[in-house]
Amino acid sequence: MEAGSALDRTPLRGFKDFYQYAGTTRVIAGRDLLSSTGFEFQKEGARRVFVVTDEVIRGTGLVEKVEAGVADGGLEVVGVYDKVPQDSSTHVCDDCAAAAKEAGADSFLAVGGGSVMDTAKVADAVFTHGGGAREQEGFFLMPREDDGMGRPLDTAPLACIPTTAGTGSEVSMAAVIKDPDEKIKIEIADFPLFPRLAILDPETTRTLPPKIAAATGMDAMTHAIEGYVSVDWSAHQDARSLHALRIIRDNLERAVQRGEKDEEARGNMLIAANLAITIALGSVHAMSHPAGAQFGVPHGVANAINLPHVIRHNAAGSDDIADRYRDIGEIFDIAEPDIGEALASHITGLVDRLGLPTRLSQAGVPEDGIPALVEGAMGDGTTLLNPREMDEEDYAELYRAAL
Amino acid sequence: MAYFKDADEVYAYIGKLFEQLAEDEELAPKFRKANTIVQYQYRDPESQITVKLIDGEDGRVDCGETTMEPEVVMSMEADTAHRFWLGKVNVTVALARGQMKAKGPVAKILKLVPLTKPVFPRYRALLEQDGREDLLEAA
Repeated sequence: MEAGSALDRTPLRGFKDFYQYAGTTRVIAGRDLLSSTGFEFQKEGARRVFVVTDEVIRGTGLVEKVEAGVADGGLEVVGVYDKVPQDSSTHVCDDCAAAAKEAGADSFLAVGGGSVMDTAKVADAVFTHGGGAREQEGFFLMPREDDGMGRPLDTAPLACIPTTAGTGSEVSMAAVIKDPDEKIKIEIADFPLFPRLAILDPETTRTLPPKIAAATGMDAMTHAIEGYVSVDWSAHQDARSLHALRIIRDNLERAVQRGEKDEEARGNMLIAANLAITIALGSVHAMSHPAGAQFGVPHGVANAINLPHVIRHNAAGSDDIADRYRDIGEIFDIAEPDIGEALASHITGLVDRLGLPTRLSQAGVPEDGIPALVEGAMGDGTTLLNPREMDEEDYAELYRAAL
Repeated sequence: MAYFKDADEVYAYIGKLFEQLAEDEELAPKFRKANTIVQYQYRDPESQITVKLIDGEDGRVDCGETTMEPEVVMSMEADTAHRFWLGKVNVTVALARGQMKAKGPVAKILKLVPLTKPVFPRYRALLEQDGREDLLEAA
């Protein structure tokens, strides 16, 4: 194969031919920040705020606190949209955008997990540029100056207050939603989707059930590990990934086991998830996406189960890859020569202590589902970013091992 | 200066490569597993190739105007397409830089990228057979 081709396994050290890093979201983190939501969001140009959330979050009373915080800053809440489902869709985004228009909003404030934040991003694009959610699909296709070649046009100000510590969508430029008519997931990624503001306050995860705290925390851990070993690695993301892992090492179990009583651990996990997010992922996500789509395995749970198996497989691929896992092993005080096995065993132990399933069969995946899962994994974009080249047989073996 | 002087040259090489792939007994069935219709819209020179990749159906390649309705549209300079088929373009980097723009379910196309590996030498051979060392050297 020729040097520099699409299929080269990029070297995992040294100065790269190219990488791009962007992070344009202003992040504020700390205690008692919800009461200053309006004060902070005003700095981003918001005046008439449209809140996007779901019924569960609204039922906790959190949205009322945020609304009070918006009003305290002199801003007006012109509407609250709480119809976002767990797995949002193009129809929901269109409905949300129309409701924001009807309410006379000039900005969006998402209070929730990944589905809520992604809904707000897509609804904002529809609200600003028109068309429907389905038409927004694509990478770097949002309207730009200079016949589409220049600076992307701004969308309405968007602020995000995450209520789980895992997705990191509050600082990412991507959104994934379902098109129920075509039964597919569509991806939208472009710079204007970076929220202008992210507010990380542990009050938002105070009532998070331990199982969800564990699963979302493992999602963040998977982002950090996959981001560090991906062929799309970058020095910028390396720094974020490794520090996210240090925070996760010190706080994840505390946050799950002590929950409401440990504000510090919950706050730190919000920061870890925020640092760990990247779109440079790998085969763990390639395996987990179809497991979620076909068998309803929650994303964080699927990642927690698949992660050790992919680590073993990748680490055996080359010394370069194993060396990247060694860097991660150092954080967890793991220095065994077989780093793949040692790190994988460590993670399986952690997953078990967190009370999550360690096998896909425990999460409802049947053995005869493997062929369809393999097809899904091969078709997932993250497969291309895995440090070890994957084929159907590799995935079949990994799914059998994880079953 | 662009590598190809006009749309006909794009069709004579990149179009011909797609036509060869559509008839390849080993590769064509694998590409058709994408189950989609993809249109490549090239700039400089303006040209367009639409490829039907539907599982269980015959392949079809339309150079220029088409009656097929594409599900995925990939747009790029014709130079980028030429360099891709020579194995000199990393798709994920090209998407990140905006050198390639993708509209539609991009995952269906990314799935095909690993299958292109054995195609690079064919494209090179196609150019060599036609005495187009200039196109090989230019890239």
